Amino acid sequence: MIEVKNIVKKFGAFAALDEVDLKVADGELLALLGPSGSGKTTLLRIIAGLDWPDAGEVSFDGENALSRGASERHVGFVFQHYALFRHMTVFENVAFGLRVQPRAVRKDEASIRARVKDLLDLVQLDWLSNRYPSQLSGGQRQRIALARALAIEPRILLLDEPFGALDAKVRKELRQWLRSLHSEIHVTSIFVTHDQEEALEVANRVVVMDKGRIEQIGTPGEVYDNPATAFVHAFIGESIVLPVEVCEGGVRLGGKALGIAANGAPCGASKLFVRRHDMQIGPAGSGALEGAVRHVRTFGPIQRAEVALSEGQTVIEVDAPRDRELHAGDIIGLHPRRYRIFAAQE
Amino acid sequence: MNQPQSYLSSASDDLRTEPWLVRVVIIAVAVSFLTVFVVLPLVVVFAQAFSSGLGAYFSALSDPEALSAIRLTLYVAAISVGLNLVFGLIAAWAIAKFDFRGKTFLISLIDLPFSVSPVISGLVFVLLFGGQGYLGPWLQSHNVHVLFAMPGIALATLFVTFPFVARALIPLMQEQGTQEEEAAISLGASGLQTFFRVTLPNIKWGVLYGVLLCNARAMGEFGAVSVVSGHIRGETNTMPLLVEILYNEYQFVSSFAIASLLAMLALITLVAKTILERHLDEGQQPRGNEFK
Repeated sequence: MIEVKNIVKKFGAFAALDEVDLKVADGELLALLGPSGSGKTTLLRIIAGLDWPDAGEVSFDGENALSRGASERHVGFVFQHYALFRHMTVFENVAFGLRVQPRAVRKDEASIRARVKDLLDLVQLDWLSNRYPSQLSGGQRQRIALARALAIEPRILLLDEPFGALDAKVRKELRQWLRSLHSEIHVTSIFVTHDQEEALEVANRVVVMDKGRIEQIGTPGEVYDNPATAFVHAFIGESIVLPVEVCEGGVRLGGKALGIAANGAPCGASKLFVRRHDMQIGPAGSGALEGAVRHVRTFGPIQRAEVALSEGQTVIEVDAPRDRELHAGDIIGLHPRRYRIFAAQE
Repeated sequence: MNQPQSYLSSASDDLRTEPWLVRVVIIAVAVSFLTVFVVLPLVVVFAQAFSSGLGAYFSALSDPEALSAIRLTLYVAAISVGLNLVFGLIAAWAIAKFDFRGKTFLISLIDLPFSVSPVISGLVFVLLFGGQGYLGPWLQSHNVHVLFAMPGIALATLFVTFPFVARALIPLMQEQGTQEEEAAISLGASGLQTFFRVTLPNIKWGVLYGVLLCNARAMGEFGAVSVVSGHIRGETNTMPLLVEILYNEYQFVSSFAIASLLAMLALITLVAKTILERHLDEGQQPRGNEFK
């Protein structure tokens, strides 16, 4: 088990990590998700030993990891731009971790060759073993970087934006491939991403980070359905956000009571979060909100309407199924089926 | 149909390039300048060296004084290139791979020998090690001779040629970043393994390039060496110094014979430099692709 306790890391006055706690169970596939500058890559580098925290603890299976340098931690690290050794063939890249082992534990040449061949088979690229990194495509480099990291039989595999530098199609393929690889070899893995779709699709558990802090840890379902904070709600999935006033159980928008429960939100200025597809469309006067349709755009299985609300000067976008009749100029009623209210300023 | 087409193409030719007269004049100016200032002097050096025939040429080169100058130049070059290779590698490594206070100051300090007149560089060592200098009397009392001896010449050359290796490596290493080193360390490599297996192979052409330029300057340095050498015949004259002395004594054949060796060094350096630059460019190509 990997345990991170109270990690603080500052770059000058900027706190990249601010008292971060995290436990990663054996065999997990964990995503660190957050916008750029949220500290996710710094956390990954601290676990790998490529950066050092100003305060806090990192332990692997109860052993203090901070007393060891990166080369002694047995961590497989896959870099965002792969960092393959450009002057070595694919084969030598993968063999590197085996060749630099101390003489006492180093395997003989035949076993190194066999191991590298197994790894190249695992990533399905054994036919590239004599090529140089510059002769490979992005997706191939990514898989070679993974094979190289796996060669040392790491206790954890850390991946920094593993799909960040790839085009959309290759990215999708590699996501599925990474999932199936993980279920095959079961090495504890942490990957960093700013792409929520990637995190929700690939990981068993998602850690949402912002400004050096962890906002929420949960399964992909939990962070999507029950976001713990306004940030998580806004960052994951697309949300309609309305500035509301909460008082004595009532919720008001622009002075008008909406007739929906505050769900225990404290009094004061707040924000109402609704997923686009959770906004139910009905005839005028049927819901908590009312508005005039401005535009309707149709794409794929849905149509998206831009609605100017009559309460407050707000324009929102809502999704409706295609068979719902909607035209510009219609006055419609809107009702949030599911919603969450967070205090406006944390 | 044909006429307007040719009219069009000739019009566009005129638009895209200068009129032929302008082109001819510009090229002629460039060629004649190069001929007068580069080709002609080279030809003169070799013509003078061989003016009394091959026998005179080789006997000039096998003169004991000439041999001693060649030997001294080779020693001095070997020492200064060797030490500057080590210093340059360390300095470039520190500057390119780490962030620390005073980094820009260190970079300008490395460039200092380029901006100081070689004569001043020599004088600095006279002030330090001369009879009235700061360290001179103490060294003399311990029977160590720096000035007017090989150590002084080597020191002056070392100083003058210090920037070459570091300057060749810093931009290269900065561009390559630290990711491959980090990858090597995370794979369990020690610091030395990382240096010899990852860093050095990536910069080898840059190292050779720096060594080449450093060597050319070390063998050809005149000003700084002239100040510290003392011109003791057969002992502290390097090749450039001997060329001057022989010339002043009207021994033109001997003088130009040695000069021809230096000229050949320059030509070889030029060819090697072109080859190395090609390798450096090739080394950069895959890097550009990596981020696509």
